[in-house]
Amino acid sequence: MTENNQHKKVRRYGMVIDLDKCTGCGACMVACYSENNVPFRTDETKKLDSLNWLRVFKVSNNKSFPDVDICHIPMPCMQCDGMHGHGHAPCVSVCPAVATDYDHETGIVSQIYTRCFGCRYCMAACPYHARTFNWWDPVWPADMKKSLNPSVSVRMRGVVEKCSFCFHRYQQAKEKAFVEERMQVEETEYQTACAEACPVKAITFGDLNNPDHKVHSLKKDKNAFRLLESLHTNPKVYYLTKRDWVRRQCDNIDSHTDIKE
Amino acid sequence: MTTSAIPSGVKRCSTAQFMLWITAIGAVLLWGVYAMGLIWWKGLNQTNMNDAYGFALWIWADLAVIALGGGAFFSGFLVYIIGKKELKNIINYAVVLGFICYSSALLILAIDIGQPLRGWFIFWHANVHSMLTEVAFCLSCYFLVLTIEYIPLILENPKIDRVPFLHHLGHNMHGIMAVFAAVGVFLSFFHQGSLGGVAGVLYGRPFAYRSGLLIWPWTFFLFTWSAAAVGPCFTILVTWLTEKITRKKLVKDSVYQLLAKISGWMLLTYIIAKIIDTWYWAAHTAPQFGFHLMDFYSNNPVYGIWILIAEILVCGVLPALVLITKKGRENGFLLISAAILAVIGICINRWVMVLQVMAVPLFPFHKWYMYSPSWQEVATTILPVAYGIILLSISYRYLPVFPQEKELNPV
Amino acid sequence: MKIDRRCFLSFGLGVTAGTLFSPLPWKLMDDASIWTQNWSWTPVPEPGEVSEVNTVCTLCPGGCGIRVRKVGKRAVKIEGLSDYPVNHGSICPRGFSGLQYLYGPTRIKSPMKRVGPRGSGKFKKISWDEALATVKDKLQDLRTKDMPHTLACIAGSDRGTVSYLIDRFLTAYGSPNYIRDASSRDADELALYLTQGQDGSMGFDFENTNFILSFGAGLMEGWGAPGRMLNLVGSNVDKTVVQIEPRLSDSAARADKWLAARPGTEGTLALGMGHVIVREGLYNRDFIDNFSFGFEDWSDEAGNTRQGYKALVLNHYAPSHVADITGISAVEIESVARAFAGAAKAVAISGRGQGRASDGVDECLAVLCLNALKGNINRPGGIRAVAEPDYLTWPEMNVDLTASKGRQQPRIDGAGTGAYPNTRYLINRLPAAINSAKGDSPVQALFVTDANPLYTMNDPEAAKKAFSRIPFIVNFSSVMDETAMYSDILLPDHFFLEKTRDVPSPPGVPVPVIGLAKPAVEPLYDTRHLGDTIITLAKSFGGFVETAFPWEDYGTFLEQTLADVWSDLDENGFWIDEKAAPKPWLEAFNTGSRKYEFYPAALANSDGHGYHPKVLEGAASLPGGEKDYPLVLIPYDSIRLSCGILAPSPFMMKIIDDTVLVKNNGLVEINPETAARFGLSEGSGVVLKTPAGRARVRVHLFSGIMPGVVALPHGLGHRAPDKYTNGKGININALINDVSDPVSGMNMAWGIRATLEKV
Repeated sequence: MTENNQHKKVRRYGMVIDLDKCTGCGACMVACYSENNVPFRTDETKKLDSLNWLRVFKVSNNKSFPDVDICHIPMPCMQCDGMHGHGHAPCVSVCPAVATDYDHETGIVSQIYTRCFGCRYCMAACPYHARTFNWWDPVWPADMKKSLNPSVSVRMRGVVEKCSFCFHRYQQAKEKAFVEERMQVEETEYQTACAEACPVKAITFGDLNNPDHKVHSLKKDKNAFRLLESLHTNPKVYYLTKRDWVRRQCDNIDSHTDIKE
Repeated sequence: MTTSAIPSGVKRCSTAQFMLWITAIGAVLLWGVYAMGLIWWKGLNQTNMNDAYGFALWIWADLAVIALGGGAFFSGFLVYIIGKKELKNIINYAVVLGFICYSSALLILAIDIGQPLRGWFIFWHANVHSMLTEVAFCLSCYFLVLTIEYIPLILENPKIDRVPFLHHLGHNMHGIMAVFAAVGVFLSFFHQGSLGGVAGVLYGRPFAYRSGLLIWPWTFFLFTWSAAAVGPCFTILVTWLTEKITRKKLVKDSVYQLLAKISGWMLLTYIIAKIIDTWYWAAHTAPQFGFHLMDFYSNNPVYGIWILIAEILVCGVLPALVLITKKGRENGFLLISAAILAVIGICINRWVMVLQVMAVPLFPFHKWYMYSPSWQEVATTILPVAYGIILLSISYRYLPVFPQEKELNPV
Repeated sequence: MKIDRRCFLSFGLGVTAGTLFSPLPWKLMDDASIWTQNWSWTPVPEPGEVSEVNTVCTLCPGGCGIRVRKVGKRAVKIEGLSDYPVNHGSICPRGFSGLQYLYGPTRIKSPMKRVGPRGSGKFKKISWDEALATVKDKLQDLRTKDMPHTLACIAGSDRGTVSYLIDRFLTAYGSPNYIRDASSRDADELALYLTQGQDGSMGFDFENTNFILSFGAGLMEGWGAPGRMLNLVGSNVDKTVVQIEPRLSDSAARADKWLAARPGTEGTLALGMGHVIVREGLYNRDFIDNFSFGFEDWSDEAGNTRQGYKALVLNHYAPSHVADITGISAVEIESVARAFAGAAKAVAISGRGQGRASDGVDECLAVLCLNALKGNINRPGGIRAVAEPDYLTWPEMNVDLTASKGRQQPRIDGAGTGAYPNTRYLINRLPAAINSAKGDSPVQALFVTDANPLYTMNDPEAAKKAFSRIPFIVNFSSVMDETAMYSDILLPDHFFLEKTRDVPSPPGVPVPVIGLAKPAVEPLYDTRHLGDTIITLAKSFGGFVETAFPWEDYGTFLEQTLADVWSDLDENGFWIDEKAAPKPWLEAFNTGSRKYEFYPAALANSDGHGYHPKVLEGAASLPGGEKDYPLVLIPYDSIRLSCGILAPSPFMMKIIDDTVLVKNNGLVEINPETAARFGLSEGSGVVLKTPAGRARVRVHLFSGIMPGVVALPHGLGHRAPDKYTNGKGININALINDVSDPVSGMNMAWGIRATLEKV
């Protein structure tokens, strides 16, 4: 009985991102950097060694002028539920030191920077390239250290970091609810920095298991899908688009089969 | 009276000549040490790895040296478990080689991780589900075993042997060596497999992912098998090279023949298994994950289907056929060629299972990720080779590594 | 005791074993790892009490409401303020990275005096007293010589109390040379004045429209108030957006329809659409018949018949002809024109990108006339002239004779005089005015505030030459930029988030919204509010200059001047001018005819039919032969880059794609087809040559750019001591020549002829 109740309380936080709304402005990325103390370097043009918890990719339908179309795809950590949906995300099971773990209360994949010793096996395991490595010591010149957020620890050189769905905000919301003697964290009380920042409201965030949360119904939309679904990673980040070519860019199975236009 | 440090009854080059050799190799070693220092001081930004290429040259080097060091455990298995006494004449060298390979692997791992001072967390905070944890435990334990196997050999140095305590210690250790050999064999079966598992469990990487048995993907078994098959080839190759360099016959042909024959049959069975695995993966596993075979071998400047042909046919089937044929392995040229091919084959396999895994794009809008190592990575990869050559040279010079040397080269 | 080898060996072994079994190695291992977890060079943010300050972002003229999260005394995060009437919680990436400007390395930390040559960046720290005395002495000297009119001020804005204070200072001092920095407002305001007789800026009621026809305005690229425009996309209201521009911008990609017209032909396209609407009688008859002038042919005072708009478009802008010029098919022109005319509420907008540069007036008029045809002026979902709200109470001021004589001198930039009687500011003509002057420079002292002309102007070399002839340049910038580097005295203003100031109504907003920026943090450095600096400076002159500034400081000034509005502002953070409701058509127009003028009477003396067809014909109007320069270079704007006076923040540099910048190399966008013609492939190094200059760039193949056209972004290629932006990419302004608008004299350059040469 208790177990049953316990089971009901399981939250699975997830996101639904409307690709037809996204303008590619990049506000989500900057809001994320600022919230999560993501460092920056003088040259950030080598995108493959640039620390990012959320990246917005620009994809094209590969047609020629003027039939060409582009779409921006924001990619945070997909917070995968894993192959059989029990939290065996591709990265979690491979980490040799339990520096990354699946939180069964929220479905969020954590990263403990002080535990991580930088073997990068998780990066090799993640098909979404959601994980980035601290190749350098982080540097905040002049007075920029003053803008650091104390709710998120600063990472040192040599460790892997990734999107946490702003887990510190969940903790803060939970503490607040606890103080106010509430069991539930309300939808509006816990929002990720990117969802809150998205100026066109393309990102919806909430508990996928909770019918009162908008993501619950959005994820069932006929235009909803997930990235690389054929890998069985079971991501908790969903996408919406009415454009078939965009969907075909998001999964290999789709790219091999012709979707009827 | 002073005892010579060189074992009695054998001839060695002059000290000056030896020092010259060591200095030359030592220079290379120092270059590697310098690069290693840079990496530890400045961090992994000294490499050309990036967020798409978290595993690169070093992990390949790790996998490759461990596979090649497999000669130690498999010879041990043949000598102590199966009872192929003949191979005792080469097992010392196999053990030294194994020791070098495994210590190199540990060193490379210590360079490869972003926080070397926290490396021990892999033991302290071990995640039992991780193949890397399994690797770390077995690797360290087996390295300990190899050290224990190496010690009695060191104790046979005439100068050390003069110390009664050490003499007795060596004697007693010889007595129980079979037990350690057995433990080592067991550990090796596991960690060779775990290394295969490292890539095989990556279900986010359909190029690497394999279905399997219980918690172990097929690569687990294939890695163990291939290491057992090719490790002895590497032992043969290095012994042959040592003979060429020292211009002496050190091991009788019959020993070579036996090892080659066993290796050949192992290689043949391995390659058959590998072909079945490749077919099953190409026809079933990968398509389930949305990929066709040629997705992995096209639209990039390097990784064509040639690499599969090279690994399986040219460096797998071909050497296997040579080695299982009496005529083939009795022909010195063919024997060594086959050994070289087999060694190249396993290196390609390990390369593909590390670097090509990283290179394959997963999204239709991604391009292939291409990588070439920085000089610091190359230098630190050559470092263990230099160290290995030095340790081999010292061992050969001062220890009675080859029991048949005296008989084959009467002074 | 003799220690033999054996003893030594045993001892060694014993020690080793003993150590291994002792806790020492394990403790050391543990300590080493703990050390790595607490590296002193990896900062640990200090905790503190969390608080929030609501204020207004002033990093661009957009004036979006923001919420600053503080921990202790530190500001740690900027977020959108949801109950702010401009942006309703949405802000752009620059706003999110605002703290990087505040705490960044380019801040000027105290008054400075230049000690090296101009542009060398060598400055010496001086005290405020010394700095102000230096400025006062120099200016007093000019007044003594009866040359107060040789003081000029380049300012980013001419609205808001600080601008008014500076203008008041110039008046009391005796200079007519307040020069506003260029922006798309220039042409918009002039077009409004010419057609409606209204002083004010153009407001677009996008919130209530169903159809937006954008002739190049980068609505998603940071146009107007960026937060407002983005918020509109998120508000889920069905709108049809048609975007006209030669490049698939983010706005074009988000639009329902993208019409890739040849660059510079937007005005012709607008007239072509006008043709369709007129021909098919789809225009608003009530408005055209009763409230417009110059639609039909008319006679001027001399009795000459003038061609009206109707005859103009019907005779000269048939879709088939327009199709030849614009590259948009006649069918497409007709269908979009009909859709625009048929929409319940529709609005057309001209401009390019973020609108941080000025445009041609003809083009602006051509698009404005579409709105007139639609009859959407002062109607919901349409456009309106937003007059500057009358919210300030000023005490009377008297000026002395010197000042009065100085004020009567003609403006140095030529605005409002001779050829350009209707133009208010002509910053683009300033360099030439100075460089062509015989003898001393007509500008003997220059103030610069909220502007960075040495970066933003076309042909910055000419501007630098002009600056080098100005003996005394005072800059109030808070950050070290290109122009500050060229200045003599730096009097740094408090920065964004450090000060109280009113924020003028943002461009494009249809109702005047005055915002109040409040300090979120204490000023970090030895800076001073520009308002205070001006008041102190004025007081030091004595006489009428002093008495014109009766306030103790800026704070007192603000409260007294804002009078009734102050309490609203202080309480809500904004004030909406309720009196500014759009007037009915009968009362709306202040032109000679009291109607909307298709043919502005103010232009009646100029020849032809009111428009200058050549300037609307795109590349055909550009100088430089097609043979030497077969391509056309256009700038493009990106919301990920700040295109105005401030360089992009480090975070913005982090989010720009590697198709825009690779290391320090700027990438020029080129259509694959064009690239093939030039034998270029992705990443090829080329020299981009224009009649204005040359630059080394790399090539990025992009199918979204029109063949024959190449594009570079605004906002890169800064040359100031900021290691995050210095020398990264190309300043496209330097590759484009000024093109003088025949009506206004303003710069209307939208591009330039160009060619690429392989390196």
